[in-house]
Amino acid sequence: MPQEHVEIQNEALQRRRYRLLMLGMLAFLIAAVLFSFWVGYYPLTPLQVVQAFLSRLGWRGDVLPQAVTIFWNIRLPRILSAVLIGASLSVAGAAYQGIFRNPLVSPDILGVSSGASLGAAFAILCGASNGTVQLAAFLGGVAAVSASCLISRRSAHSQTLSMILVGSMMMALCNAGVTMIKYIADPNDVLQQITFWLMGSLTKTDMDALRWSAVPMAIGLAVILLLRWRVNLLTLDEEEARSLGINVRRDRLVFIAASTLLSAAAVCLGGLIGWVGLMIPHMARALTGADYSRLIPASAMMGAAYLLLMDDLARSILAMELPIGVVTAVMGAPFFVWLIIKRREA
Amino acid sequence: MLLELQDVRGGYGGADVVKGVSCRAGRGDILCLLGPNGCGKTTLFRLLLGSLPLRGGRIRIDGRETSRLTPRELANLIAYIPQHHTPIFSYTVLDVVVMGRAAHFSPFDAPKSVDREAAFAALEKVNALHLANRKYTALSGGQRQLALIARAICQSAKVFVMDEPEASLDYANHQLLMEVVADLAAKGYCVVLSTHSPEHPASTGSKVLLMKEGCVVGFGSPGDIITPENLELAYGIPMDVVTVRDRYGTERSVCLPVKQQNRRDSI
Repeated sequence: MPQEHVEIQNEALQRRRYRLLMLGMLAFLIAAVLFSFWVGYYPLTPLQVVQAFLSRLGWRGDVLPQAVTIFWNIRLPRILSAVLIGASLSVAGAAYQGIFRNPLVSPDILGVSSGASLGAAFAILCGASNGTVQLAAFLGGVAAVSASCLISRRSAHSQTLSMILVGSMMMALCNAGVTMIKYIADPNDVLQQITFWLMGSLTKTDMDALRWSAVPMAIGLAVILLLRWRVNLLTLDEEEARSLGINVRRDRLVFIAASTLLSAAAVCLGGLIGWVGLMIPHMARALTGADYSRLIPASAMMGAAYLLLMDDLARSILAMELPIGVVTAVMGAPFFVWLIIKRREA
Repeated sequence: MLLELQDVRGGYGGADVVKGVSCRAGRGDILCLLGPNGCGKTTLFRLLLGSLPLRGGRIRIDGRETSRLTPRELANLIAYIPQHHTPIFSYTVLDVVVMGRAAHFSPFDAPKSVDREAAFAALEKVNALHLANRKYTALSGGQRQLALIARAICQSAKVFVMDEPEASLDYANHQLLMEVVADLAAKGYCVVLSTHSPEHPASTGSKVLLMKEGCVVGFGSPGDIITPENLELAYGIPMDVVTVRDRYGTERSVCLPVKQQNRRDSI
């Protein structure tokens, strides 16, 4: 059949196009990483960047000691953090949009960021060290999502609807807690710390925090990447998905668990960075189509590059550094409006 | 028999909606479910597909009792072709069709070229190959139904359940779809479909299950079941079943609701 030939060729063409697209994205991400080593308050020439990189690999040459410190202790952890947070938030957002069957859902929908904020604020109030604050944030985020899941099981509504309802309740509750802690906190010291933490910033990232945040992120990313095609099935009506042989509730919980690891780890590494998880999956979908086998890898790479560039912007646009949460919100909010208008036209 | 229902009961909350339904259908059968709104057709479908647990009786497909099967095993026996299917994201038709392979995959699997070939073959069976790379969301109602039938073929189930396939289609598309259904039956599938038009079984069905309030009014061949008495019993309004000839002289049954003011004896 000639028709069959045409369609099969067409499909093969699209797959080749996708492979090229992924290569292009990878090249762009690598370029963005290299570019980010060069951007910053302390000027490093590209040559100094290369020298600093080589110096740790045994190269004995004439290199500025400051350049080595800046490269390895400041810019590298920061760049890796931006890449990991961007990828995590975007992948979690893409997965959430699928499993909640709603394109306007972002990774905080079950209260992960609010729970993390509450955990962090409480730890700061108690005078905990930086590491403990991050641990408290991680646990707070995981606890809020677990509570949302457990409570919503008792609801008579459909699983997705009751989770979204209970999730927004959980967010309100945690935010009330954060407000209360801010209210009683010492305005000269503790309140400032809490406010800065909540802003979302990559200034304080170091190798230690990165090292142990990377573990939950790696687990979450691996689970979603391996199972990614199955997100497609969860975008179907529950009864329909079941008729295709899917254990809908179990599969959905697996994705929620993995996404929660991702977003909780992202929050405890960089604070509240909004809009990435909502925006990037939509941009990726426009390039790759709706199929999650392609969408998830594309979201990961685009999210990584996007957050990296936003962080470069945050640390270079003004003489002082801007909180990255502000930058992503300023970029993201108009995008959201555009998305709503586009949906109404469609 | 491929599909056997024995005294099937089920419902929501306190009351049973389906109150003891028995029927059977084999390969090549088109079983039409007929009855007024709320007679339990949809509930019976949910029982068949295992999304609602049985409260009594049993359902056997290919000799296997469905209540003992996992969703995955059940998906290898019976496929669902929903009436409304509006995906949230704009998948291509091929994406949608290949989802039918899900029950054949282990959790970490994704569609491979074998599965894509199966999807192309299934689309070809319903003459919809040209739609393969189109966006599913941009298709008409009839084309969407074809894509979903292809997905069911891909699932390699033997029994297809179609929920009111004519509901969202215009007359011509409905006729086209019924030709596809007849073709599926001829290929050995068993198709169970619900319908609102009583003459539908006479033209396409090989068996009819007429229901009212969760009970069976009649089960058998359309000629035996679609009678004025049975229809009046089920729908509560007087109806005539008339045999007409089309332009080629083929005899066909047509159901007509009788209008009270037309009665001659009132003059």
